[in-house]
Amino acid sequence: MSKIRTLALGALGLAAAAAAVTFLPSIKAIAQGGGVVASGDEQTWDAFGGNQQAQKYSTATQITPENVKNLKRAWSIHTGDVSSGARSTTWGATPLFINNTVYVGTPWYRIVAVEPDTGATKWTYATHGHEGPPENQGLKNRGVAYWAASEPQAGQACQKMVYVGTMTGELHGVDADTGKPCTGFGKNGVVDVNAWAPKNSKWKIGLLQPPAVYKDTLIMGWAGNDWVYKTENPGTVYGIDARTGAMKWTFNIIPPDMEDQTGTANVWAGISVDPETGLAFLPTSSPSPNYYGGDRLKEMPYATATVAVKAETGEVVWSRQLVHHDIWDVDINSAPTLVDIQKDGQTIPALIQATKMGFLFVLNRNTGEPVWPIEERPYPASNVPGEVAAKTQPYVPYPEPTIPDHMPPVSKFADIVSFGQCSRWKARIDDQGRYTPPSVRGAISWPATLGGVEWGGGALDPTTNTYVVNSNIVPQIYSLVPRAEADKKYGKAQRDRDGYAAQEGSAYGFKLENFLNMWGMPCWAPPYGTLSSYDMNTGKLNWKKPFGVVQKWGFYMPDSWGSITIGAPAITKSGLIFIGASMDSRVRAIDVKTGNVLWKHIVDSPAVAQPAIYTYKGKQYVVFAVGGNGILTPRLADQLVAFSLPN
Amino acid sequence: MTQRHSTRGAWLIAAASLITMIICVYDYYTPETGLIGTGGVVLVAVAGLLMFLASLVMALVPNRSCALQWFLVVSIILDIVGSSVAGYFLESPVIMAAQALALIGWLMNVIGDAADRSVEIDDVED
Repeated sequence: MSKIRTLALGALGLAAAAAAVTFLPSIKAIAQGGGVVASGDEQTWDAFGGNQQAQKYSTATQITPENVKNLKRAWSIHTGDVSSGARSTTWGATPLFINNTVYVGTPWYRIVAVEPDTGATKWTYATHGHEGPPENQGLKNRGVAYWAASEPQAGQACQKMVYVGTMTGELHGVDADTGKPCTGFGKNGVVDVNAWAPKNSKWKIGLLQPPAVYKDTLIMGWAGNDWVYKTENPGTVYGIDARTGAMKWTFNIIPPDMEDQTGTANVWAGISVDPETGLAFLPTSSPSPNYYGGDRLKEMPYATATVAVKAETGEVVWSRQLVHHDIWDVDINSAPTLVDIQKDGQTIPALIQATKMGFLFVLNRNTGEPVWPIEERPYPASNVPGEVAAKTQPYVPYPEPTIPDHMPPVSKFADIVSFGQCSRWKARIDDQGRYTPPSVRGAISWPATLGGVEWGGGALDPTTNTYVVNSNIVPQIYSLVPRAEADKKYGKAQRDRDGYAAQEGSAYGFKLENFLNMWGMPCWAPPYGTLSSYDMNTGKLNWKKPFGVVQKWGFYMPDSWGSITIGAPAITKSGLIFIGASMDSRVRAIDVKTGNVLWKHIVDSPAVAQPAIYTYKGKQYVVFAVGGNGILTPRLADQLVAFSLPN
Repeated sequence: MTQRHSTRGAWLIAAASLITMIICVYDYYTPETGLIGTGGVVLVAVAGLLMFLASLVMALVPNRSCALQWFLVVSIILDIVGSSVAGYFLESPVIMAAQALALIGWLMNVIGDAADRSVEIDDVED
């Protein structure tokens, strides 16, 4: 089928061109390119990552590889919280199922609570957080968090709470049964987290990612407005009292003596927690300015790292930097997945940290020591005055990286139809594989800021230690723009439509270009995205396949091309992977053993999130937040849709 | 110089192009199709409209020049091929089925026209 499609693609171009001569308007290019807590018969999904261990695993077994073809839509609702243009929404929420209710946050920063079997609304809570001018990253949400008192007081409200953050740094806490604000939480149910972060404040911090929960502590990171300034809000993680909203602790990622030269390195992705040891695992991002480090040469060991802290105090237990002196914005962008590895007759408490670089760092989660060796390999020096790229970078040869060491070759098809544009462009920019430093003349960033593995990370079946993860294959072109040239061309603009970002205060602005030809086709050979399965007891790759489908103008490209994906899979005990994430508006069920697609269903837009799986009243449901993401396609939506087997 | 050409199959082509346009409108406005708001279905709808107009000329103007007949025949087959391939990549079996219907109509017309020419030549030779 795929070969036929590939051949037919050429025919499509020819036929369309021929038709244009006679009837049709001219055609431009069409192508581009379990955590489950058992509670009686119910199987819950009580955290962003399925559970606090970020395993995205369900013990449910009703839907199997044999009967998944019969899966039907059980219910679908539209929240109404979708908008485009300057107020474009990005919805990557994981719905939660707990307390016999499905809870989801929306990009208008509302909480919607619905019946698990019908989708009927139980209650809604509006923060009104979307009503002001767009702040920080605008209208973007990845869901809500849930907390329940270990010893609830009968008759008292707010013994179970749901939390949602806003783009202006507010954290709202409401009663999980009624949706009423918990007046004992902050000020009338609202904690102004932004007020805790005044240093170098250039923008209000964005609480798009729900906090992790450990006992009575919320562990909260935030998102920043990258690429714009040299010094920005220093990345600080907060421990917050789940009942009162009081700050319990802070963890500063940027060393105090560096705060006048840099900022961010914040934790904007999910955080996982080991409920047995009380350790929280923080994936930290790159410091500002993201693409020029000449003013921040001093080592910052907590930046672009995985850091283990005590969840109740914030005290650092161990840390491991995964990219030294990050000048590529390859943030550590997903919550580590916790796994107990069975190796040589021993159980190793470990975590899997997937990265934008396509590496799977497998570390002992109590010590940070690698389970399989991590090498320090030499990488190219920077040719930019003032910049000193790290001489070596961590390299993980095993488990096999999700992407190769060099970008794919130039696509012959894209090159031919653009009259050699792709190959000429590639010849005049720097490309030395991984960690090629950004340069004034332009450099291939491989992989680019889109990854590798995106913010969803992977999913783990803890009974077999099968780990599945989706990954992108996307090079981009990074150019530094000397300040005088930037001022002349862009003036005081912080950003420009051509990909420019100011990095104001540093010696260089920055320009990001997608490596596409004149028709918008990717200049590199497909696939553009994959799904991989690993045996985490041995580290062996079980299978890797192109995943997803690129859809352009409605036309579906060949399966063998795969798709850029944002979002993550979920995995079931019965041997199924459920995943949206692809650029086409489809959600899929995949056989864990083979990687074959067993079921797919069209939804309103790309489901760039991770699904939730739960069982309610004896029936298993798989629910997706379908909202789209402007990075992938302009098609946005507000659909929450659940699937189940017919009665 | 005009002469009488076959009108056979023209109404079948017209029906097929109408089906194409209707399904394209449905696809364009229905989220469940995965094609809502896409340029691809607009393209096929425009192709369907042009095919419909061509089929009307084919049906209602039997006395037409050879050049016009050739233009119609070539244009319609290119339209059918283009729309079929587009339908394949849109994963729309209805569009592809409609093109199959149009192809039958096109064959009826081409074969019918050739048969008519053959009869006229025989008449001259007799």
